[in-house]
Amino acid sequence: MTGPETVDRVLISAAVVLVVVAGALLLFRISRGPSMLDRAIALDVFAAVMIAGLGAKSAFARDAFYFPIMLVLAFLGFTGSVGIARFIAVRDKPLPRRKSAGKEGRK
Amino acid sequence: MNVWLQIADTAGAVLVLLGAAISLLGVVGMVKLPDVLSRSHAATKPQTLGLLLVLAGVALRLRSGMDLATLALIGFFQLMTGPVAAHLVARSAYRTGQIERGELLFDDLDAQLTEPGQEPGAGTGPDAGQEPGGGHGTGR
Repeated sequence: MTGPETVDRVLISAAVVLVVVAGALLLFRISRGPSMLDRAIALDVFAAVMIAGLGAKSAFARDAFYFPIMLVLAFLGFTGSVGIARFIAVRDKPLPRRKSAGKEGRK
Repeated sequence: MNVWLQIADTAGAVLVLLGAAISLLGVVGMVKLPDVLSRSHAATKPQTLGLLLVLAGVALRLRSGMDLATLALIGFFQLMTGPVAAHLVARSAYRTGQIERGELLFDDLDAQLTEPGQEPGAGTGPDAGQEPGGGHGTGR
C-alpha cells in the first residue's frame, strides 16, 4: 500500500505549492493595492488561503492539531477587513487610486 | 474495506488539490482585475468554494466525529462572515467614490444615495430620479 500513499503525498504537496503561490500573489496585491479597500479584500482572502494551507497540512499529517487555529481564523478573519472598511477607507485619499485605476483600465 | 478507505484517502487528496487550485485561480483574478468591486467578485472564490473543497478533502482523510464537527464549524463560520466583510467593503467603496461609475451597467443605489443631498461622485444629479429600470446607468 505504498503506491497510493505516495500518490496522496504528491497531490497534497502540489496543493501546498499552489497555496503558497496564491499567498505570494496576495502579498503582491496587498503591497500595491491602490486603495485600502483592495488591501482589506486581499487580507480577507489571505485568511481563507491560510485556512486552506493549514487544512492541507492537516490532511498531509492526518492530525487535528491546527483545527482550533483554523476555526479562530474563520470567524475572526473578517474583523480586520470590517475595521478597514469602516474607519480607515473613509480617510483614505482616492486620488492615487483613480490615477492608477485609469492606467490599469486602459491596459 | 481497506480498499474503500484508500479510495477515500485519495479522493480527499484530490479534493484538497482542487480547492487549492480554485484558490489560486481566485487570487490570480484578484491580481488581474482592475476595480474594487470586481476584485471583491474574484475574492469570493477562494473564500467559499476553494475553502469548502479543502475542508471536504480534509474531512475525507480524517474520519473521526470530533474532527468532522470542527471542520463543519469552520465552513459554517467562513460562510457566515464572508458576506459581512464583502458587504461592508463594497458599501465603503461605493460611498467614498472609489468605483468606476462608467463601467456600471445598472446602478440601483444611485438614486437613493443622491436624493438626500450628498453627492458621491459625478454630478449629474436630478435626472436620475424615479425611472424604474431605465437606461440612466449607461449614460454616465
